[in-house]
Amino acid sequence: MRNLIPWRRQEQDVSLSRQNDDPFYGLWQNVNRVFDDFFTGYDMMPFGPMKNEFSPSVNVAETDEAIEVTAELPGMSEKDVDVSLTQDALTIKGEKKQEHEEKGQDYYHMERSYGSFSRVIPLPRDMVDADKVEASFDKGVLRVTLPKLEKAQHISRRIPVKNS
Amino acid sequence: MSDETTREFEVEKQMVETPEGVETTRTGRTYVPRIDIVELNEGIRLLADLPGVAENSLDIVLENDQLTIEGFVEVERPSGYELVHTEYGIGNFRRVFKLSDQVDQEKITATIKHGVLQMDMPFASGPRTRKIAVQAAS
Repeated sequence: MRNLIPWRRQEQDVSLSRQNDDPFYGLWQNVNRVFDDFFTGYDMMPFGPMKNEFSPSVNVAETDEAIEVTAELPGMSEKDVDVSLTQDALTIKGEKKQEHEEKGQDYYHMERSYGSFSRVIPLPRDMVDADKVEASFDKGVLRVTLPKLEKAQHISRRIPVKNS
Repeated sequence: MSDETTREFEVEKQMVETPEGVETTRTGRTYVPRIDIVELNEGIRLLADLPGVAENSLDIVLENDQLTIEGFVEVERPSGYELVHTEYGIGNFRRVFKLSDQVDQEKITATIKHGVLQMDMPFASGPRTRKIAVQAAS
């Protein structure tokens, strides 16, 4: 089963110990497990991933004020994607169309993929200010900025340790 | 599971391999862009996915028959920015092609839109293969 929300650690600057204390990580793990369990034993799954199917890769970053979701969607623009937000998930849907279908064309080489896609990115509940979410498209990269609610910004506070 | 894992890797970005003993002049990672090459009636069209690459941060160099495409991606990271989930790496793009002599090198055009580079290379008119006469030395 292809992980719906694959967790791949490619950036070396993210320390591994975060796996244990990161709320996002636990959430993703749970979602993955649910889907993995559900489809176990269904190898003939009719909706299984097809070769050359398009599924955008997504990065999630966090600052003190916001969560930022970026996706590489080369060749697409704002009219090709649909971004929606529910209480606990962000959904990015769209279709990547083939640029040119001309007669008499012959593919020598085909690495790019096309098709419709849908990605669901789970979000912690009561964290995002839904009214202030913004999405923009620039040079084939979609960027969704989800500002945190004021109360969520102060969830972790540094407590000074006093020397008695 | 293993089957699916391989498929997943196909959609991942591939890093450019640096030959041993060669130093890169730019910092950061470099990826191989995914491309399509299509033959049309009038020429060859190359499409390359270069998400995040602007028009003025793209270098296309044609030297002899070697075409090099390089795209540079700039990322701004505000303070306190921390990646919590990564599926794709951010870096520059580079890929080298060898052009066949079917192509008229003077007439190649390139445009980039929404992170996709399109290069049109019209076929050269006239004979596509050149014959070199070999004369016997007397």
